Amino acid sequence: MAEQEEFTDINGNPIQFSCQDFSPFCREFTVSSSKLSLLRVLMFTCTVWLLAYTGFYLTQNTAVLSAAIMVTLLGMLLHIHFVKVDHETLLIVGSLGVQLSSAYASGRESTTFIEMSRIKDIVINEAIHMQRIIYYLCILLKDHTEPDGVSSVVPLFQSSKPRLNCLVQVYRSCQEIIGQTP
Amino acid sequence: MGQKRRGNIRSPVSTPSDTHSSSEIPPDKNSSSTSSCHGYLQSGKHSICMVSDFFYPNMGGVESHIYQLSQCLIERGHKVVIVTHAYGERRGVRYLTNGLKVYYLPLQVMYNQSTATTCFHSLPLLRCVFVRERITVVHAHSSFSSMAHDALFHAKTMGLNTMFTDHSLFGFADLSSVLTNKLLTVSLCDTNHIVCVSYTSKENTVLRAALDPYIVSVIPNAVDPTDFTPDPGRRDDNKITIVVVSRLVYRKGIDLLGGIIPELCAKYPDLCFLIGGEGPKRLVLEEVREKYQLHERVRLLGALDHKDVRDVLVQGHIFLNTSLTEAFCMAIVEGASCGLQVVSTRVGGIPEVLPDELVTLCEPTVSSLCDGLEKVITRQREGKVPPPAAIHRQVQHLYTWRNVAERTEKVYDQACRQPVLPLPARLRRLRSHCGAVAGSIFSFVAVINFLFLLFLQWLYPSHLIDVAMDATGPGSHWGHGFGKEESKYTDAVRHDVADRRRFKCKK
Repeated sequence: MAEQEEFTDINGNPIQFSCQDFSPFCREFTVSSSKLSLLRVLMFTCTVWLLAYTGFYLTQNTAVLSAAIMVTLLGMLLHIHFVKVDHETLLIVGSLGVQLSSAYASGRESTTFIEMSRIKDIVINEAIHMQRIIYYLCILLKDHTEPDGVSSVVPLFQSSKPRLNCLVQVYRSCQEIIGQTP
Repeated sequence: MGQKRRGNIRSPVSTPSDTHSSSEIPPDKNSSSTSSCHGYLQSGKHSICMVSDFFYPNMGGVESHIYQLSQCLIERGHKVVIVTHAYGERRGVRYLTNGLKVYYLPLQVMYNQSTATTCFHSLPLLRCVFVRERITVVHAHSSFSSMAHDALFHAKTMGLNTMFTDHSLFGFADLSSVLTNKLLTVSLCDTNHIVCVSYTSKENTVLRAALDPYIVSVIPNAVDPTDFTPDPGRRDDNKITIVVVSRLVYRKGIDLLGGIIPELCAKYPDLCFLIGGEGPKRLVLEEVREKYQLHERVRLLGALDHKDVRDVLVQGHIFLNTSLTEAFCMAIVEGASCGLQVVSTRVGGIPEVLPDELVTLCEPTVSSLCDGLEKVITRQREGKVPPPAAIHRQVQHLYTWRNVAERTEKVYDQACRQPVLPLPARLRRLRSHCGAVAGSIFSFVAVINFLFLLFLQWLYPSHLIDVAMDATGPGSHWGHGFGKEESKYTDAVRHDVADRRRFKCKK
């Protein structure tokens, strides 16, 4: 809630980062990205409609226009339901586990929980993403067949993609909690 | 998904403003990429980016050159990152010994582990690497690597100092070499400094790329003498063994070897051949072995790991190198370092490599090589050869990587003092040095590349690219409690103290 520092995501859009301390062993980090902007919705609608009118002009078929309405509506629905994430939360409870949840613009929430016994570590990693090299935070899961191995990696804050200064804060306080649990 | 190392993150983070704040050097045109390197220039250290298509897990001379040179430069306090293309599943960012960072970029491989080049498509990723690692010098390796040329081109567009190391010799006569030489001319005409591995190679490069010889330095390759120590107990003194370790390709003169084997085997019944390496010319050797029934005496070992090479070398008495072209032959130094008698063809830079008493040089023909080998076999029989330990002692201080790194460092210092040509001067240079047609074409490409860079700077501004934490160099974070549980805990506590204030959040 109270954060003096300004955070942005990797594309330079401002994001809100807040950290709630419930107890020394339990902390919640929330990263909220900016709301769906009206301008972008208008741009999308205009593009679809311009294309539809060109199609209509060329073919003189009204089905093109009805298709355009369907595309706009469905596209918007799918976008707010499956793509646009309003905020992502990481709740870490020492000795119990980590809960990741993301709330979509439509209000849908998806939550996963990873118990502490499966977590090997939380680290900041580098990856090549869309012609750039970015830092991201991820959870390493233990491999049960190998004692030192890592079976898979769960990336955190996947849709908001905060920059390194934000990741470092989350990382440090996660390490603090993981470090306290034996 | 990249490597799952964590040590680099655990250590305290230096904010990029530390190095950005100083501004003694006037920012030049593309200041977004160069302003960030002041910290390095002031400390007298460089932030070096080695670019080549060839790096581990691929094996060869260029690969080990880059690796060893980087390790020695890290030891001298410079920051080094390596950029290469993705090898199969190996893509993303990896760390090697001593925090040597390697970027395996997902670029399409076209031919012979060399990436396809369009001059533009690699710019976004390379720019990202140069900016986030605050690179001051881009050092490209090998003229066969198109990625190296691309990187030189982009680095010049971004206003970084550039260096190039040439590892091979080329011809002038056929069409393909004419084309490659033209491309090399274009690529090297505005490069700050060029390094060749031998004087022969320097001559070749200066002629091919029409360069000013003053900007070309010669720094030989090196071998790690501790890796190649003699072990006379391992060899069988009842017979004489000739060892050949090379890739079995045309350039290495395997056809000559196919002519030597039957001739010498007929003359000397106690002669054996031990051949390590793999390649298309293996068929030639197998045919010879089949035809003359030499299965016990000619052993083909197939592909060797670098660590196994020494074990093969010490089993022999004579090391044979039949290369047809070679800029600097590392193999004969390795052979001599293991205490073997070396017989080699007199081609390229080979005569410069070893003192005359350690190597027998022959013309690249079957008869001359047979004569040379016979001479050495006779000497070996009579026991007139110096003991392996003596040869090793003589060779071990000739070529060391530390010496190579020291000399390369001087070249970096020199290259960094030179100005990077701004775009108009660069276009003039291209047109005056590379002929009217090629010059104009590549001037056009350079302009487009510059516009593309401006577009990228608008799309992903440099200030949005997070500066990477240094694993090597002056601000190195490598080795701060890396991988140890205990220090992980103390680190966490330290961060705790440092950050408690920042994390006091209201409920």
